[in-house]
Amino acid sequence: MTISAAAPDASMSKVLSRGAIGLLLVAAPVLLMLWLIVWPIISAIFATIWIETPQGGHVLSFKTYEFFFTDRYSLDNLGITIWTTAISAVLLLVFCMPLALYLRFSGGRLAAYVQSLAIFPMFVPAIILSYAFIRVLGPNGMLDILLNAVGLPKIPTPYLTPWGSVIGLVWDNIPLTVLILTAGLGNISNASVEAARDVGASRLTVFRAIILPPLGNTLLVALSFQVLNIFSAFTLPYVLGPAAPEMMGPFMQRTFKELNNPTGAVTQAVIAFVFCVVFGLFYVRSVARNRARG
Amino acid sequence: MAGARAKLDWTGIAFAVLLTVVIIFPLLVVCTWAFANSWFYPHVIPQQFGVRYWQATLARQDVWSALWISIRLTVTVTVISCIICLPAAYAFARLHFPFRNVLFFSFLAGQAFPKFGLLVAIAAIFLRLNLIGTFWGVALIQLVGTLLFMIWIPVAAFQSVDRRMEEAARDVGAGPLRVFWSITLPQAGPTIAAAILLSAVGTFYETEGAWLIGAPAISTTPVLMISFINNQPVIQYGAVLSMILWIPSLVALIFARRVIASGAFARGFGA
Repeated sequence: MTISAAAPDASMSKVLSRGAIGLLLVAAPVLLMLWLIVWPIISAIFATIWIETPQGGHVLSFKTYEFFFTDRYSLDNLGITIWTTAISAVLLLVFCMPLALYLRFSGGRLAAYVQSLAIFPMFVPAIILSYAFIRVLGPNGMLDILLNAVGLPKIPTPYLTPWGSVIGLVWDNIPLTVLILTAGLGNISNASVEAARDVGASRLTVFRAIILPPLGNTLLVALSFQVLNIFSAFTLPYVLGPAAPEMMGPFMQRTFKELNNPTGAVTQAVIAFVFCVVFGLFYVRSVARNRARG
Repeated sequence: MAGARAKLDWTGIAFAVLLTVVIIFPLLVVCTWAFANSWFYPHVIPQQFGVRYWQATLARQDVWSALWISIRLTVTVTVISCIICLPAAYAFARLHFPFRNVLFFSFLAGQAFPKFGLLVAIAAIFLRLNLIGTFWGVALIQLVGTLLFMIWIPVAAFQSVDRRMEEAARDVGAGPLRVFWSITLPQAGPTIAAAILLSAVGTFYETEGAWLIGAPAISTTPVLMISFINNQPVIQYGAVLSMILWIPSLVALIFARRVIASGAFARGFGA
């Protein structure tokens, strides 16, 4: 009797102590994540609606948001951000889709070379990319030099225009878009494509009828990933884009540091969160589902 | 299909040419600038090649102090990240404890938000704690950036270790530490090393947190590069610094290409 009573007791305490060891081992990164990811987001929402009054009290108020949505300059910045994100996302899909299709359905040395090149920008930090962009497409850049050498007029430079941000952001996001699309295309069987080709379907029909339908989820993942990356991008639009209107990333930075208005900057951050929330949740859900599947 | 393969692969050639022009050419231009003693418009190639600006750039105090800060930050962040993340990864992979799955997936939280917005929200908290413009402020924000990577990849590495080999070692009397050292680590090691390398390189290039939290007091190499682009009339300084700045990436490229080309990496991004 004593033995059978003691045995579950001992194993119970063993389970408890093992659980405690596990929790202890993961405590440091979990606490850091709670402090520097979860808490800042909660705090950002609170700090922008629970405003300090001059008398020292607090009051529920939406005036920082009212300011943002009535201020012409803020709205222009939001507009240029949405425009840049949409254009870049469309260009990325239009350019990377044929590239991914090519990589999926060909082999050999040339395809390996193309794949290496497509992944290469991942190893070029955004800041070096910005510098290279200016040297090539900036005023009197390499392109102007070459055009001049063959007697053609200079180009209107995209440097410091909205197209500067677009070109930089597209370049920077090519590798992961191609990787995501190629991985998605990997699930489509060669047999089904060949069968359709055998009965005489054109390339376009094969793409529309066989390849595109199961690719829907992959396209949404790629799109979400791009929106999250581009909507609040900082370095590329800050260095290559126009000074005004500016994208949300540089706008937040300037509001925070130069205008010394952290509440205004945090308001802009919360607005960026809201605009990306659907994409963010979808993206995280896909990553989690993939991971859970192993 | 076979007929198409026998023909010249025009699509492939078109992509190869296009990508070479768009991706390799701009970097070659930067490389040329770094070795140009003088190059004025409209000359197609520099009037004089040389390493004059390498000497001039390497003689600059701000370049050396920026490199030193970057290296100190990278080492600090990587070491702390290893100390807190690797034991946690082992626990997630092997131990049973309450809320294990919730906690494991909670590291995705940062991915659901646009990054710079999150950085601004963190900066607002650092402002109250007087961490703006300090070494540790930048180190903390960069440390957060490594968490997901340094936990999820090592967890996968620990999970892929053959459990039967561990059990066999234990059956012949090896202690838990001995099993870990001789069986688990050699199998999980290469993947974990790749994760550490990639997160160190990522930290070295981290620009946005450093700019928002650190600048101008803490000027890392990428932050210095931004100020070269914005304010430095001598083009070659930026070109030389770009080349120096690119070295860690080159190392990562050599070691990590296989990891990235494999589908496992893309799946980590939700593909």
